[in-house]
This record gives sequence, structure tokens and C-alpha cells, in this order.
Amino acid sequence: MVAVLEKNFLISLAEDAVKSALKLGASEAEAYVYDGQATNIGIDLGQISKTNRIIDRGLGIRVIVDKAVGFAYTNIISNPQTVENAATQALSAAKASRPDPDWQGLPQKKSYSTTEGTFDPKIVDLSPEDLIKVTANMLDAAGEVDKSAFPIEGGVGSGYVANAVANSNGIAAFDRGTIVECSLAALAKDGTSVTPVCFEFDASRNYRLDPSWVGREAAKLAVSALKPKPVETQTAKVILTQFALQDLFAYTLMVAVKADCVQRSQSPFKGKIGTQVASENLSIYDDGLYPKGLRTAVFDGEGVPQQKTPLIEKGVLHSFLYDTYSARKDGRESTGNASRAEYLSTPSINPSNFHILPGSKTPQQLLAEVEEGFIIYYLQGAHSSNPVSGEFSVVANPCWKIKNGEIAHPCRGVMLAGNIFELLKNIIEVGVNERQMGSLIAPWILAEDMRVIGK
Amino acid sequence: MKDVLQKIIDTAVVKFGAKYAEARAQQLTKTMFILKEERVEAAKQGIESGVAIRVLVNGAWGFASVGSLDSAILEAAVSDACSMAKMASERLKNPIKLASVPVVEDHVTAKPKKNPNSIAMEDKIKTAFVVNKTSLGFDSRIKSCGLDYMDLMGTSFFVNSEGTSIEQDKLYVWARITASAQTDGTFTFSRDEIGSTSGYELFDDQPSEELGRKVAKRAIEQINAKPPKGGKAPVVLGPNVVGVFVHEAVGHLAEADLALSGGLLGSNLGKKIGSSLVTLYDDGTLKGSFGAFKYDDEGVASHKTLLIKDGIVSGLMHNRETAQKFGAQPTGNARAEDFRVEPIIRMRCTYMAPQDHTLEELLEDVKDGYYFKSFRGGQASLDGTFQVGIQEGYEIKNGEIQAPVRNASISGSTLETLHKVDGVGKDFALDPGRCGKGQTAFICDGGPHIRVSEVIVGGSA
Repeated sequence: MVAVLEKNFLISLAEDAVKSALKLGASEAEAYVYDGQATNIGIDLGQISKTNRIIDRGLGIRVIVDKAVGFAYTNIISNPQTVENAATQALSAAKASRPDPDWQGLPQKKSYSTTEGTFDPKIVDLSPEDLIKVTANMLDAAGEVDKSAFPIEGGVGSGYVANAVANSNGIAAFDRGTIVECSLAALAKDGTSVTPVCFEFDASRNYRLDPSWVGREAAKLAVSALKPKPVETQTAKVILTQFALQDLFAYTLMVAVKADCVQRSQSPFKGKIGTQVASENLSIYDDGLYPKGLRTAVFDGEGVPQQKTPLIEKGVLHSFLYDTYSARKDGRESTGNASRAEYLSTPSINPSNFHILPGSKTPQQLLAEVEEGFIIYYLQGAHSSNPVSGEFSVVANPCWKIKNGEIAHPCRGVMLAGNIFELLKNIIEVGVNERQMGSLIAPWILAEDMRVIGK
Repeated sequence: MKDVLQKIIDTAVVKFGAKYAEARAQQLTKTMFILKEERVEAAKQGIESGVAIRVLVNGAWGFASVGSLDSAILEAAVSDACSMAKMASERLKNPIKLASVPVVEDHVTAKPKKNPNSIAMEDKIKTAFVVNKTSLGFDSRIKSCGLDYMDLMGTSFFVNSEGTSIEQDKLYVWARITASAQTDGTFTFSRDEIGSTSGYELFDDQPSEELGRKVAKRAIEQINAKPPKGGKAPVVLGPNVVGVFVHEAVGHLAEADLALSGGLLGSNLGKKIGSSLVTLYDDGTLKGSFGAFKYDDEGVASHKTLLIKDGIVSGLMHNRETAQKFGAQPTGNARAEDFRVEPIIRMRCTYMAPQDHTLEELLEDVKDGYYFKSFRGGQASLDGTFQVGIQEGYEIKNGEIQAPVRNASISGSTLETLHKVDGVGKDFALDPGRCGKGQTAFICDGGPHIRVSEVIVGGSA
């Protein structure tokens, strides 16, 4: 196994890159260094047959010449020459670019908070054998559910990521984190009919996973999706689980709160700060320091401290998400939401842990609120939503019909069409059962007046 | 480079007992920039070099990738790959075997008319500016526009333990153009993508002004568009939508790994699943198209693969592992996004073959339906439910294209819908795209105009 790179090495690599860019004539410079290692055990057709170990390291350097921004990256960081070449390339890119009159400089140094539960040395020390055992537990649990269920793919993975940021304003920071996850996709077959793929997962920054639960739930969901019935087109109450919310929000709501989109008139939230944009039941925070959060880190992609930012409080729009550039344009401070695609990109605004605050209803109580409606687990085609207007037209697959507070049967070919900004106003209850999925931390949500299109 | 790879393979086979080993190396440079309105957000250049090693030990796969050519790191990687495969193999019920393929030694060079690396970044940015300027100037209601540009050039090397040794140039030029309009609280959005494996001459074939105008016009047109009525309706689909329909509704189900996982096409080989008008290909040999290449990432020559002939399932897209399971020939569909990841079965250029209708003939029998011209996203499910989002669509009333509709999507079951294709046009067009299946692949799809007698239209009205 290849050892992880040391803190001091990563920081000095970033600092050296900044120095060489300044020496080459940049007026400002910033370097981001990334060291990622991952081990994955893969399931294919119900058996463990794939393993991989991926080491990905690199450095991205952003330079400013006369208010024009250039960026270059390399994944060869063992050689000082390639790092210097990257600085040269970044400068040539900046010179080829055009000055941006709105450019007001890289971020200044600030003090950092500590984060809780984001690094677990046990995960770094996990051997492939350990991960294979976890995978086998998950598969065994799935196999015990029902003969009609088939685990098709999934696996278990562990990851370690360290990064360092340095810039010409004196930022020199290092952070590291771990994650372990397991997931299973299963379907059920009944004669010639096949269910949609049903998916479950568990992910954690510490070595705490419940692979048996994942295996069981994926298989149970698949079995419960057998024998779907068509439904009539109607306007109904709908419970959206976290899977559906994550899909729907990622391409609409999470875009609308980015300051960049607001400034460019691409968000219906423009000019709406302080106004009611959602039901009073809805409060959303972007919490970059959420304990054990999957996106929790000390600093963002520019070395700005991550923080907790209220976005919507009791339905009232409170703030947007900022990186340094968009914040200075509005005369504000960055909210620490500059994210990076590893070392390969310049920072761009993204939510950290997008936290929909829990309400008071248990899942059973939410179901009990629905005389006639639907519960939706997975959506197909959410990425085809209109990112500007918030309109969506997607397939709910699978989804289940609710009758008199109980799940009655799975449904075939159901579509859901509407507008996310209307949906926000139609949220009548928020559950207590929160969990994290990607950047979303949320419970189930019950919305009314949803357009459901059937046969 | 090939010597380094050969040495890794020898180590895997001789020292660690791998039955099969392959090594891929990649040396790429990328140029990218993002233009938002008339501002360059950042001009970017990058280098990505690395090695991937994949081995079969006792019938299980081991894979390791590193961004390094350092011999100690490569030795550690090959050791990791082999030992992990060995551990995984202990629980294996069905050991993996590979279909045999010809041993290849080849050197494939890109021959662009305009090499992207010989065009100065200033000039690329200048061209992009024209696109955005045209878009912004098209109508005062266009409030923002964007252009993401990327070109990628480099070489990939492939060597395996069977004696295959390939050096292959890679070249992609791609751009995504967006525009959004706003008026009185109505927001609209429009997008387009262009892409080629030929060279920077792409921008000669597609003039910048034309690109900007097209995207802006669509955003403006949508301002007055109404949501369509939800429910079943007859539709005429343009080539741009047909491409995504074919890709989502059939293509993914015809990927042999998904077919084995329970996808509906695996069990329907040789059976009629659609109207006789439906003939589909996945073709990796169309020179210059965004999904074209000579050899895939298992060293297999790319084919023109017949998927459906006159409504009958005729073939699937394979890698060497699935071809062995089906007793079929590998089709050259094993693709890895880059050196970091394993090759998996991906589409190349997927299209419906044209027949004999004109657009007027397709429209004339539609009393009350929709004409869907341009897509925005789409997604398949193994149970054969497809979804294609629509960014440009119109009502059809009594055979005439009428008022625009906004933010529709179509859905249905593949097996039912292919039977409902009751008219196929004689025109033909392809569009580049990107497909996500854990990894991103550059693909292409298209076909002629077609008419479908019934799909579910997801509209909020």
C-alpha cells in the first residue's frame, strides 16, 4: 500500500506553488493540493467479483494577472518541475484570458473552527479483507429477505482525502477526512415482470456502518415494488423520501440559492430576501460544520472557514450561498461555499450540508395524514428539470399508493410534474426521520397539491 | 511507455499469478474555460497522466490506478490489485472468464484539420465571445448566457498479457452553450452542446453566431410557452429527442452488463419488441462523431453493432466478460472515462436508422398531440421505464405545429412504446452528448424524425 502524504509536505507544496507563481509575475496566486485514496469492493450480478484501489493526487493553481484569472493543474506532484510548469501554464492562461472588472482579490486569512467526527484513523487502516467481510454481510442479509429479490450491484468503499490550500494573502491550511460507505441495488422478479432498481446505502465519516440493514432494506423495497398497478391522473398529497428530495433539489432549489445564479438573474429568489418563499414548516440551513456531516470540513476550496448559514427560516428567505468572488460583488463575506472538483477545477459555489430541519412527525404519523396519496422513493430524470424556473417533469419509479394512512400498492408509470417553488409552499408536514444523502440532510416531507400523471 | 506497461504485466503474471493482466496509460492535456456573459470566469489548462492496472486472479478482478510512472508506486499498485483480487476470489461462485479477441498491435494517430493545441487560447476565447455576444444581443430579455469549453488531446497506451499493444491518440473538442431569459417573474432556460473527435474545425462547421442565436431564440420562445397537459398523447419527435429516446429507452437496456442484471433486452434476444420500422445501431466507427474511437479500453476494435433490426432484438453491447457469458463477440464498448477508473460497457453513437416519411407526413395524421424538438436530460431504468426531458416542444393541432409548450417530458415502457412507433422519417441527424453511468462518457445519438402513437407526457396542466 502507498502511504498517505504528510500535512507539512502538502502545505509546503501549496506554498511553493504560490511562490513560484508570484515569482513568474502573478499579482495573486492560490494553490490547492489534493491527496485522495480509495479502496472499493464491488458486487456484480450478486457476487463479489471486483476490487479496486485508486490513488489520485494533484495540484491546482489559480493565478491573477491584471484582474484576469488563469488556472492550471497537474496530477504529477512528486516532481517540482511539473509544479512549476503548472504555474507557468496558469499564467499563460491568465494572459490569454480577459480582465474581470469585478475581480476583488483572493480571500484573506481567517481563524478556523474545529470540526467534529470527520476523521477516523480506523477507516484509513481498514484492509481489503475487512471491506470484503462487510460486503458479504450486506449480501447475505439481502439474500435472506425473499427468493424473488436479486442484489445486482453495489459494494463497499473506504476513502481518505487530505487537502491543503495556500494563497498569496497568507492562507496556509490543511484538513483531512475519511468516509466509509456501503450500498446495494436490488430488483425483484416475478415471472416476466421486473421491478425498477431499488437502492439503499449507508455512509459515515467514522467506521460505523450497518451493512445488514442496507442489504435487507434494498431487497425488501424491491420485493414491495412487485405487482405495480396503474393509477389515474390526479392532484394528490405526496410524501417525498430523502432520495426523491435529493434528486429534485439538487437540480433546482440548491441552484436557486447560489449567489452567482442570483446575481446573473437565473434565480427566482432574486430580490426575495426577507419574503415568504416556502411553507412555514420549512427551515433550511447550509451547515458546513455539521457534526459528522458528509460535507463537513474546516475550510472550503478557497481556504475560507466553513460555517452554518441560515437559508430559509420558517419559510422566509434569509441568505444565499457565497464564494469570495460573489460575496465581494454584493459587499458581503463569503459563506465558505466554494467547492472544488478535487484539484481539477477552480472553485464554484455549492452547498455543503444542506440541512432541512426536522419537524415533529414520525414516518407513521406522516402516512396517517394521507387519506389518499403517494409515497415516492426514487425519481427518474430529475436532472432534466429546468434549473432556472424550477419546473420539473419526472418519473416516480418506484412509488407506492397510500390509502387511509397505509401503503396500499406499488404504482406503474407515474409521472410527477410541477414547479419546485410552488412545491416549497405546499409542504404541510416535515418528518423527524432525518438522514444524509450527498449534500442533503433531510427527513421525509409531505406536500399537497402535487400533480401526479398516470394512465 | 509500452516497456513500463509490459513490465507491470509481467510482474502481475509471473510474480502474482494473474491469469490475465492489462495496463493502460494516459498522457492528456486539457484546455477549458467558462464564459459567463462577457466575463471569462477562468481560463484553464491541465495535465493528466497516469496508469491503470487490471488483473484477473482466480476469476476475480483487481484494479489499481495511480497518477505516477514511478516504478515503486507501480509495483505497489500491481501488488494491491493482485492481492485484492485474490481475496475477493475466495467467495466467488462464478469465476470471470473473458471472450477471446484477436491480438492487436497498432498505432492510431489523430489527424485533425485544425489541431486544438495549435489554436491559441485567446482565439478560442474570442470565438466563444461571439457566441455569448450574439446570445445577449438577440433580445433584451436574455439576462444571462454561458459557454463551457473543453478540448482534450493526448495519447493512451494499452498493453495486455495476451500480446496486444496499442497506442492511440485521443482528441475531443466540446462546448456547452446556455442562455436564460427573464420577464415579469417568468424564467426560462435553454442549452445546447456541440462536440467532435475530428478537431477544432467543429467551429467552422457550426458558426458562432448561429450557435448563440439558436440557444437564445429557444429561451425567448419559452417565455410565452404553456405547460402541456399531462397524460397520454401522440407525439412527433425530432432527431435530437429521438437520439436520447433511443439512448435511454433501448440503449441502456442493450448494454450487456445491465441486460444480465435483469434488464429486459437480455431475455428478449431474437424476439420482436417493437414495430418493424425500428432499426437501431450503436456505432463506434462513425469518423469524427463524438462517440467514435478505433479501439476500446480492453483493446477491442470498435464495431458498428446492430441492436434492433426491424423490431427484433439482434444484439447487445459487450465487453469481453459479458461476451463470454452470452457466447457473443465483444463489440468494443468497454470504455473508461480516464486512467483512474475501470472500463465498463458504454454506448458510442446510438441511432435509429431512417425510413421513408417526410416530417409533413408524420405530422399530418396527428390531430391533437405534441412535437418535441429538443431534449434536456433523460434517464433509463432497468424495468424498461424511460424518461426524456424536453426543452423545446410545440402543440400539434390537426397536423399543424402550433403554440410552444414548456418543460415537458415523455415517459413510458420501452417494450410498449417501441411497438407504437408508427412512422419513421427519411431525414437524419446526430448530436453529441455526455452519458453518466458512474463515469462520464462522451457519446453521440440521433436518428430521423419519428412518430409515436402514444407516450405519457408529463405536464402540469
